[in-house]
This record gives sequence, structure tokens and C-alpha cells, in this order.
Amino acid sequence: MTFSISLHTSSGKTLGIAELSGKIDAKNKSEFQTSFDLWLKQTSFLVFDCSKLDFIDSSGLGALVSCLRKAIEHGGDVKLANLSSKVSMVFELTKVNKLFSIFADTESAKLSF
Amino acid sequence: MKALIIIKEQDYSWIREVLPHVHPLLVPICNKPFAEFLIDFSILAGCEAIRFVSDGPLSDVEHYCDDGSRWGIAVSYSSIQIADELQQVIKKNQRYCSDGKIIVISGFIFIHYNKQKDYKKLFAALPEGEILNCICGSLSLSGAPLDGQKAIVSDVALSLTGLNSIDVYYRLSMEVLGYASSPYVLPGYSNEAYCSIGSNVVITKGAEIIKPVIIGNNVQILAGSVIGPDAVIGNNVIVDRDSTVSASIVMDNTYIGEHLAVTNRIATENILIEPESGASMAMEDPHLLTGIKKIGSAETIVQSLVHGLMALILISLQLIPFLLLLPILTMQGKWKWYKNTSYTTVSGKTLKLTTATLERNGLISTLAGALSLDRLPLLFRVLSGQLAIIGGGAVVANSNTVADLSSAPSSNRACVFSYAEAEDWPLTGGDSAIVERYYAVHGNPFQDIIMTVKALFNRILEKNTP
Repeated sequence: MTFSISLHTSSGKTLGIAELSGKIDAKNKSEFQTSFDLWLKQTSFLVFDCSKLDFIDSSGLGALVSCLRKAIEHGGDVKLANLSSKVSMVFELTKVNKLFSIFADTESAKLSF
Repeated sequence: MKALIIIKEQDYSWIREVLPHVHPLLVPICNKPFAEFLIDFSILAGCEAIRFVSDGPLSDVEHYCDDGSRWGIAVSYSSIQIADELQQVIKKNQRYCSDGKIIVISGFIFIHYNKQKDYKKLFAALPEGEILNCICGSLSLSGAPLDGQKAIVSDVALSLTGLNSIDVYYRLSMEVLGYASSPYVLPGYSNEAYCSIGSNVVITKGAEIIKPVIIGNNVQILAGSVIGPDAVIGNNVIVDRDSTVSASIVMDNTYIGEHLAVTNRIATENILIEPESGASMAMEDPHLLTGIKKIGSAETIVQSLVHGLMALILISLQLIPFLLLLPILTMQGKWKWYKNTSYTTVSGKTLKLTTATLERNGLISTLAGALSLDRLPLLFRVLSGQLAIIGGGAVVANSNTVADLSSAPSSNRACVFSYAEAEDWPLTGGDSAIVERYYAVHGNPFQDIIMTVKALFNRILEKNTP
């Protein structure tokens, strides 16, 4: 499980593209949230590239929603891109897909800001 | 007339990968096993005997169908080799096929028939040969037509659907569900069109059922849930609060967690399947989707015994410290008794409980709290069977909590320690309800031992001390 971020400047905004890989579950959600808090200091406009995200459970979903809430509190947003079919199923099942803007690819997500 | 049903393992092997919890020939279509549809059709066609033939294992089918006496028909079973073609199969079952006409159903196919139609005369009059075929199999007849009978095919509807993918299975189930007056005999009580409900179904206040829907036996649909339209709910299913199931099939022994939306899916135990693409995901998170097993009376007795034994052990350990420390704590004003009335179970019966609160400041009171001495009075209620040692937490009876009670799982019992205490979740608020509801459904006696020990340890460490 790894989380990494790269910063891009677009339309005058600094966007963070965070690549999530592996899984986000009860065991590592604290680590993920700690990483997010560090990213938030750099930018509140973030795209989570989930192309390598294999698994997420209810704790992981809670962590993602928490990230969204924090980003909004800082005047920004968190958008998701490249969800795999399995991760999409979890999002649809839990109705979390209604909370996030979800895009097929990272570029579309970047352009939406 | 007799029926010979030949289904090779290669015909149904795809189902084993997608729906591993059920034998392919017993896969339910609107809660009726596939094999039963074939049996029903054979009976309608005038068959007095049916033989299932396969190169795969048939023990589950044999266990379910037995000798066919349930349907007033003789059911038998036979094995073949993978390479055996139809003629070889008939030859191997020559003795069975020797007298009279034989309807041969070959392949993993669903026969669309109508229980109101007369197929006896049709099949009696048809000549030998293939009647219908599809991509996955065929329906044919061997043997000469009966003398004097003329085939009348025109006004008797029959068609075949090859069951070769999960998408086909899903669409077939939705089609069978969608009949106002079903052409098939389906399980459940059906007083109105598009709706069939099994026995021992609990639909709590606030749940909504939208037709067409079929619900199996031993089903709990908790408050706020919406079932349908186009929902098939299997047997031994729990749909937890505020979840929706529409255009979906929830198969037997499945738990659907709270606040979920199951739409255009097949849920079987912990596996969620998207029929159109065939994609499936095994949910590792049991709070979302998981399999459940029905607790029989034997397990309930075992659970009571285990709880009683744990209570006895705790009483024997706590009694002496309790007798020594109680007078001191009472004098210090840190120990207070109070009485309340709590619900014992979701049935609404109440119980007057005398419980204690303990202020944990100071050496003696901290020691008393660590030893959970404030829970000792309740342990005697466990011995008498009125409380569980660990459970979903005692619900104080008042006008506010009666609504919560009606939405709780039926296995919820008032208790000494709560699952939330054991799992170190906040004791108040919705979070505790999630974990308590989960274990109320999924707990077993030996897990209760572990949970009780965890709760005791958490109290020693002063976690979540109320």
C-alpha cells in the first residue's frame, strides 16, 4: 500500500494528483489520513488516481469521505479518477459515489477544476 | 412416459465460479431450485419417472430431490463419462429408457412452459426426434407416438433459454419475477399479483415493499429498508436498516448491511456480482455484505450455557473484592445504585434492573472499575437466563427507544457487557449501533467468550468507561 502525490498547476490552481495503490482499510486508514493532512498543506484541490487501488472497505470509505470534508473546509475539493470495477461496486453499494465527482481518467478530473 | 435429464459439468461449470455456494442444478430462480422447474415440467408432460444424468457430482441434487416422492414421481440418478454423447447416454440408461416414450432434456437449459397448459397430449402425440433446441441444449423425444394421437403443436407454447452466463441467469430471474400470474409454481404465499412472501418473514415498521417482489423464508427486513421493485430475496436473509434492494437478487444466507444500495446486482453471501459484465467482488468487510448462518435451537442452548458459565466464573472472581470494596465505595459516595426498566429482547418484554454507577477517581474506585465490580449484580441475571453476558446493550424502555427496538435484529438481547465495549467503539451514537447490530446477527457462543474478555480488558484499561 503506497500513497504518493504530484503537484500540477492548472488555471491558476495548484492541483494535487495523488496516486492510491494497494488497499485502504481499517489497518492503514490512519496512515492514509496522515498523508492526506500533509497533502492538504500543499493544496486543497486534489485528484485521487485510483487506478491501482485494489480494495477499500468501510473504514477506507470513511477515510475518503473525511478527506473530502477536510478539503471542502479548506475551500477545495477531492475528485476521484480511474476507479476499478470492483472499487466502483463498493462505492455504488455504499452510495458514496453520490458524494464524490468521479471521472474515467485523471485528465478529465483535472480539467473539471 | 419418462424424462431423462442430461446435464454435463461443462454446461454448468461457469456457475461454480460465479455462485460457489450452491450446486448448479439447485441454483434458485425466484427462490425455486432450477431442478424443480425441470421436475415440474416433466410432471406436466405426463412423466412418471425422471432420471438426472451427469458426469459431475449429483449428491446435493440427490439429497434435495431424494426419490421424488415429494412430487409423486420417481426420481433416480446416474453417472456418465465426460466424452459420452447423447446416444451413448441413452444406451447406458437402456433399461430405464426401454419402455415407453422418453423426453430427453439435454444441456443446461431453462424450459419456458405454462402450468395451465396441457403438455401430456402434446408429447404423447409427437413423433421421435428433436422438438426444440437452443445454443446450450435441446428438448427431444425418443419412442413412437401413441396410436391414435395427433400432435397439436400450434397452441402450446414452449421455448428454451440456455443458461450460459450470469447475465442470462439474472435476466431469466427478472423475467420469471415479472409475471402478474406466474406460469410456474413458485414458493411463498401470493395473495396478490407480483408479490410472493415466504414464512417467518419479519418486515419491521418503516420498511417498504414495492412490487414485483419475491421474498423467501426466515427473512428480516429492518426499518427504513426498501425492497423492490424487481427484487428477489432468498431464504435466511437480513436486510439491515435503510438499505435498498431493487432490480437485484439476494440469494440465501446473505446479510445486507445498513444504508446500502443494491441495484442491478446479485448478492450471494459476501459476493456482489454485476450481471451485465459478470464482474464480481468478494466483500471482506462484513459490515457491508456477508454470509449468515441460521442459529438453530441447539446453538441457542449452547450460547446460554456458555454465557452462564462465563457469568459463574466472573462471579466467583468478583464476589470477594465486591464484598470488601462495596462498603468503602458506598461511604465515599462513589458507588450509586439506580433502577431502570430495560427491554429484554426485541419482543418488547421489559425487565427491572438494578444497576450501579461507579466514579473512577481514587485507588479503590479505579480498582473496582478495573475489576468491573459494578457489573456484578447483573451477572446473577445471566445465570437466571434473563440477560446475556455480552450483546447489543440494554435498551432502557421509554417512548424514545421503542422505535429503535422495532428496528433491531430479532437476536438482540439485553446484556451485561456490550459489543461496542469489546470492540472499543464509542458507546453512544450510531457507531455503537453498527457494531452491536453486526454481532447480534453474526455472533456465536465462542466468539462471545472472546468478546467478553476483550470488554473486560478494555474496562481495565479504562477505555470507553461510561
